[in-house]
Amino acid sequence: MSRFIRWQGLVSFFVIIALIMTFVYFFADALVKKGIEKSGEWYLGAEVNVTDVEIKYAPLTLNIEGFQATDPEKSTHNLVSFSQASAGIDVWQYLFGKIYISELNISGLRIDQPRLTTGEVYTSSSKGVEDGSEGADESALPELDMSLPTVDDLLNNSDLLTIKHGKALVQSYQTEKKKLNDIYETLPDKDSLASYNEKIKVLSKTKIKTLADIAKLNEAFKALKKQFKADQAIVKHAKQQVTASKTLLSKQTKALKDAPNADWKNIESKYQLDTVDGADFAHLLFGEQAREYFDYADTVYQTIAPLVNSSKVDKGAKPSIGEGRFIHFYDETPLPDVLIEQAHFSLILPQGEFAISGKELTHQHWVRGNNSVVEVTSDNVQGTGELSLALEFSLDQNHVLKSDGKWQLADVDLKSVPLQESSAFNLTLDSGLLSGNGTFSFLDDQINSENKLNLNNTQYTGTGTSHLSTLFIDTVQSLKTLALTITAKGKITDPRLSVSSPLDKELKKSMMKQVSNKLTGFKSDVVTGLNTKLTESLGFSREEEQSFVDVESLINDTDKALDNLMNSDVVKAKKKAFEDKQKKKLEDKVKKKLGDLFG
Amino acid sequence: MLSLFAKLFHALNSESSTRQISLAIALGFIVGLSPLLTLHNIAFLFIVLFLRVNIGGFILAWGFFKGVSYLLSSLIIMVGESILTAEPLQPLFDHLYQFSLFKLAHLHHTYTLGALVVGCLFAIPLYFLCNFFIEKYRIHIKAFFDKFRIVKALKASKFYSVYSQISGQGALS
Repeated sequence: MSRFIRWQGLVSFFVIIALIMTFVYFFADALVKKGIEKSGEWYLGAEVNVTDVEIKYAPLTLNIEGFQATDPEKSTHNLVSFSQASAGIDVWQYLFGKIYISELNISGLRIDQPRLTTGEVYTSSSKGVEDGSEGADESALPELDMSLPTVDDLLNNSDLLTIKHGKALVQSYQTEKKKLNDIYETLPDKDSLASYNEKIKVLSKTKIKTLADIAKLNEAFKALKKQFKADQAIVKHAKQQVTASKTLLSKQTKALKDAPNADWKNIESKYQLDTVDGADFAHLLFGEQAREYFDYADTVYQTIAPLVNSSKVDKGAKPSIGEGRFIHFYDETPLPDVLIEQAHFSLILPQGEFAISGKELTHQHWVRGNNSVVEVTSDNVQGTGELSLALEFSLDQNHVLKSDGKWQLADVDLKSVPLQESSAFNLTLDSGLLSGNGTFSFLDDQINSENKLNLNNTQYTGTGTSHLSTLFIDTVQSLKTLALTITAKGKITDPRLSVSSPLDKELKKSMMKQVSNKLTGFKSDVVTGLNTKLTESLGFSREEEQSFVDVESLINDTDKALDNLMNSDVVKAKKKAFEDKQKKKLEDKVKKKLGDLFG
Repeated sequence: MLSLFAKLFHALNSESSTRQISLAIALGFIVGLSPLLTLHNIAFLFIVLFLRVNIGGFILAWGFFKGVSYLLSSLIIMVGESILTAEPLQPLFDHLYQFSLFKLAHLHHTYTLGALVVGCLFAIPLYFLCNFFIEKYRIHIKAFFDKFRIVKALKASKFYSVYSQISGQGALS
């Protein structure tokens, strides 16, 4: 037996196991600390610091003190940090390959806090810093930079359609007139027509004695008809030219008549006079703020999305290279790969302290069929404001995220909130009391959110660089309450934001009232000036039009005269008369012969 | 490291059983392919220490095949994945999954199971191959290589002095 068995090896085995366990017992804290730092750094690409880690074994509890994760985009700040965290971990489930945390507590959770020393950044992130203004609908922020020109300057502007079309019409009249004059020169004049009549008359008086005379007459008439046809072709061409000229000129006249209206529209648009009537004031004032909040949601989504997408457990999936994976089989009491049954966070933001509690936090909700529930409450938002938010979410086996939530806000004291900082004007909400409520839902990467906000006791300050923007600021300052409805729909990465307010109409009305006098006077002067220009152009055209009518009438008369000449069939008439005469002669001859015969 | 090599050479050149050395290499192969802290590795460590297996050979083989395992990781995971997701084996795994020992051994992990299966499968031919080569080495190769100048030079080196020391003190068998 001793040939095969080494008894002292048994002792060595137990000594080695005992050494390993002792090593783990004494160095586990340091190993876990290093593990958290290294894995955090690997994931974030920036320095992660943990002050201390303590592991308690009965029950297994992990305590983390002083966690700081550097923001890779801003190494002077922490992306996230907390003062203390403790997690009760189920040892057996951990050994089975699952992380089951019965209770997780994180206190002093902070976001975007400055670091004592600048953190190291190991990789440059491809994600750009989200700018709140990025993607903002610029058209919703019309710069009311209106500095109206004088009416004379406007009317002397050669870009005005009224002037352009007027000039074009005059030009066209002259060109077309020249064309018609040229044709007019080629038309048979009155003398020619009289000469034709004379010739026809002469032919009609020709004495026909023999058939040869008829043939001669026919030849002469044919020669005359040839001339008529040539003249008719000229007349036809002239008629076509008249039609073309008339079409062109009537089109240009219509364009000229429409030009003053088009010019006014252009002036309205250029000097943003139309924005007063159509401006989305609520969006103009609060769109930027709303977009910033939805950008936070987008940032959270972008951070979570890769984790969610890699969570799929699919037995048919291709094996991953490097580490492999756990495959779980039927279990009477199934557990997700990672489950936090209860979580309590205390989040400290510049806006206040928020208590966040979570239940059933996991990325594999289908395993136990329970949704994750998150509740956020605070009673010191901006001092005295109260917030409550309830959210439920779940992920199915196809990674589709479904989430529903609602929130309520009351008595939030707002101070010095910049609403607009542009070259046209600056506007700041100095103070106001905000309350509101809303709902939101996610389906995959689609968001649907409707939020109602009420601002009371508002006070604004602002400066404008133009008359109109000053008027706008004055109007906003006169409002003491404001109700807003903000909706966001579409992709979370690029939601369609709509900010509306029942006071929008009132605001517009108020604005319009204030600007109407100036605007109406201006509009009236400009339109009068444009109409004068129109009349001048049309007046000229009326004179020219008369000469067109004269030419057209002449052409028509000539055409009619030529038609008559063409239709005057002299040869036929003469032939018929000759035939009748010959017939008569023959009859007389026959009668005379028969009289002699029957006497 | 030098001592380990020296011990292995001493074992190869000594009267130690070739089967002890081959078994050490085969077990080192299995343990080397698997992740370090697994239940079956502890069991294999127990076997190595409890049975008269050449420990120097085992440690060297473990280290060597640990390096090889990085090259074979894709194959190992593929084998584990194929076994764990094979439809006919689902009832078996469903049944085994009810035992804590099965889960504790991480045999439901693609890499761990793949490494164990690949290790056990190839350990058997490896054992016989090692047997064959060690016998050949002892009969022909050692005498053949002893004639070379380079071997004579090596014998004058530090490595050989370590080797001689161990030979003189008697190595672990």
